Amino acid sequence: MFCSCPTTGADAPNTHVCPTCLGMPGSRPSLNGKALELGLTIAKMLKCEIPKTTWFSRKTYFYPDLCKHFQITQYDTPIGEKGVYHLGKKPIRITRVHLEEDPGKIKRVGDGSSLVDYNRSGVPLVEIVTEPDISSPAEARQFLSELLTEIRYTIDLPEDGERSVRCDCNISVGTERCEVKNVTGLKNVERCLTFEAVRQTKLLKAGRTIERETRHFDEERKVTMPARKKEYEADYGYIGEPDLGIFHIARIAENIKLRESPLNMASRFQSEYGLDERTAKQIVTTSMKLAELFEELIKVSDVQTAKTWITGGISAYWKGFEPSAEEKKKDLISIISDFHTERITDTECNIRIRSLMTGEGQKEMTDSTADLDRLIDAFIDENPSVVADYRKNDRAANRIIGSVMKQTGGRYSSADIVDATRRLMDARSQRSDA
Amino acid sequence: MTSEISLKDLKELNSRYNIFTSMTAEESVDAEFVFSAKDNLTSKDFETRAGSRILEGYTPGFDATPIRRMRDAGGFLAGKTNMDEFGFGTFSANSAYGIPRNPFDTNRSCGGSSGGAACAAAVLENHVALGVSTGGSISCPASFCGVFGITPTYGRVSRYGLIDYGNSLDKVGILSAKAADLTKYLPIISGKDHRDPTSCVQPDMRRSLRRIRSVAVPKEAIDGISEDVMKSFESALELLRSMSIDVEYVGMPSLKYSIPAYYVIATSEASTNLARYCGMRYGQQEGDLTLKFDDYFSSIRSKYFGDEAKRRILLGTFTRMVGYADRYYNKALQVRQVIIAEYKGIFKTHDAVLTPTMPFVSPRFDDISKMSALQSYKADFLTVPPNISGTPHLSVPCGYSEGMPVGMQFITDHWNEDLLLSMATEWENAFDIRHPEVKL
Repeated sequence: MFCSCPTTGADAPNTHVCPTCLGMPGSRPSLNGKALELGLTIAKMLKCEIPKTTWFSRKTYFYPDLCKHFQITQYDTPIGEKGVYHLGKKPIRITRVHLEEDPGKIKRVGDGSSLVDYNRSGVPLVEIVTEPDISSPAEARQFLSELLTEIRYTIDLPEDGERSVRCDCNISVGTERCEVKNVTGLKNVERCLTFEAVRQTKLLKAGRTIERETRHFDEERKVTMPARKKEYEADYGYIGEPDLGIFHIARIAENIKLRESPLNMASRFQSEYGLDERTAKQIVTTSMKLAELFEELIKVSDVQTAKTWITGGISAYWKGFEPSAEEKKKDLISIISDFHTERITDTECNIRIRSLMTGEGQKEMTDSTADLDRLIDAFIDENPSVVADYRKNDRAANRIIGSVMKQTGGRYSSADIVDATRRLMDARSQRSDA
Repeated sequence: MTSEISLKDLKELNSRYNIFTSMTAEESVDAEFVFSAKDNLTSKDFETRAGSRILEGYTPGFDATPIRRMRDAGGFLAGKTNMDEFGFGTFSANSAYGIPRNPFDTNRSCGGSSGGAACAAAVLENHVALGVSTGGSISCPASFCGVFGITPTYGRVSRYGLIDYGNSLDKVGILSAKAADLTKYLPIISGKDHRDPTSCVQPDMRRSLRRIRSVAVPKEAIDGISEDVMKSFESALELLRSMSIDVEYVGMPSLKYSIPAYYVIATSEASTNLARYCGMRYGQQEGDLTLKFDDYFSSIRSKYFGDEAKRRILLGTFTRMVGYADRYYNKALQVRQVIIAEYKGIFKTHDAVLTPTMPFVSPRFDDISKMSALQSYKADFLTVPPNISGTPHLSVPCGYSEGMPVGMQFITDHWNEDLLLSMATEWENAFDIRHPEVKL
């Protein structure tokens, strides 16, 4: 979060560390801009209110995995507040989204002592807090699962990319709440919440009260156990982090373009362009790049044209084409534009698309241009008077055009034939001038 | 262009004055110049302990940016100068490594917390000393040892490699017996450094130095000044007038709030900065490892922090606790803004604010031992205001009382160090500066 150490791929403990993430005396933090940007992207995706300025705070507590014995986190100015996430139709309110540095990891070894690995120390961490809007353990699991998929897509984290998700699960069955800290894995979240719901209900039925406390989940035995008691009373003595200053984030946030999730895009295609659900989903599931191209084609043609070519020829050749889609996208758009303005025929358009997307048929295409020139030349050679007529009145060219069109039977667009004829006639008439 | 510089007297002078916490063993070096650094600036080749036992054995893997820049300019680092533990003190009497002694009278203090640096500047020939100020730790010892001391604008010099006291207050500066050294070396250590984001918003330093034409003396600043200091200060004002500099008394009502606000902010930040020292990873690690981690941390901290460090940790922890932060820490931050605004108001009509540096000349050690913590905190009431506001300031010798130097302090607006540098030179030419007798 505040240094440049790698976050993944360490071969051994305490190798991905530097003076800053080890909190060595004299070192100091410097904000990692990419981490801020990714955090803001998530806050924006969750439709949070993003403040104009933000700063970091020191949260002081003594624990061996925390090098400086204060964690640089956000206290009074989280990068996002009051957001919402729609789980299907149900809104889950987001309380806040904030950034902080992760502490190291403690590994207990057999003899009652522990070892500390600081590779994780200083790794950027984004914390998302929801309002108590989740009503069942299964819903909590589904929420997390969908949220994670969406975040991964939004910040472009590869499916196999290393990440770690820890969940602090707060649950109350009606009176006091308990917090189960650091639960990892969706299955465990559901299990621990189910266990807690049952435990708390049983306590109440037996006429006992639930104590507000921090618990932890024992993954082996699948039960929750009380952790450090009364942690909610801890006083972290927050103060602003003076080494980092104030960050003006409103403009950074404005400039972040959110990637629309595939499902959202499909439903927008239905409402905005009147696509049927099957076609809309087919486009986005083939590839999000294809879906983006679809919208660009609409800009140079119309929905029907774009849809026909996207689901037809373009889809057929897409797989092999996708890696080079970025650089060749422009050409593809101009082909559809030519078709839409009737500069080329349907057949011509098909040939050009295939040629661009597969690299095949290029020879055929250049041959066909040469072919057209040869046919026109042949007509002129047989009817030399047409050159003189053309100089008097350029409508004489129509004789050539009509004949060549008949000969080629629609293989070339009329526009191409007209262009080629005028080009060749102009050349000839200039030559005879000289 | 390097030349051979003799260091053979260093050992003798150090044993007499307790200048260094660690120093070179070389007798002579080939260098462009020789400098020292306060012991809270990290250096690869010397232990860096910030005057504390808890950092015994800490040899950092990196040079502080100001040290690296001085080395890059051809400087030879002769040693690390003595200081109050973590900068906590006004007399350098809170050092775990002996107390530096005033070159004008060895029964008196060098001032603090950069006491060793001021002493080095006063007794070593052609020496430039890097000091650090949080609440006056450059001005005070410069005044007590009769040398020049410049504390630049907060953020002018990178704090990368500085062992933190109060991050929003700490500044690296320069002490020297010669005004020309300030002008020469301040630009060398200044400038943006991506490893300290607070250094990255500074405008460049002016190359052509502007002159100070008018100074404002806050009336509130001369309340509680000892008679002998006042006498020197008043004759210094006369000398300034004779140099055709306007001197005017002004009101600065917020001045009296600067001490409480400063100690709240400084100790709050310090108490978080000192949390990391616990006998793990570096420094002193001699403790009972069979204890639970928090008991082990407490045992190390109890044993190796000095009393003043403990006092400031307690104070600073209290002032940022839930329920108290608004009454103390957050309020102190607001007071800081009021003080800055008041300075800005004065700088609209005056080039600089001028006050004596310290309310008295350097006290004897036996008197210091009788002072309460509050009395010694109050001694900083003139050096704290420009520190809490982050404005640059310069202490120059301006008189002598019973053979002990008196200092006065010019304060200018943020980033206007050039005014101070030109004043240092002008003053050096106008005022008859005495140097301590150093017999070898």
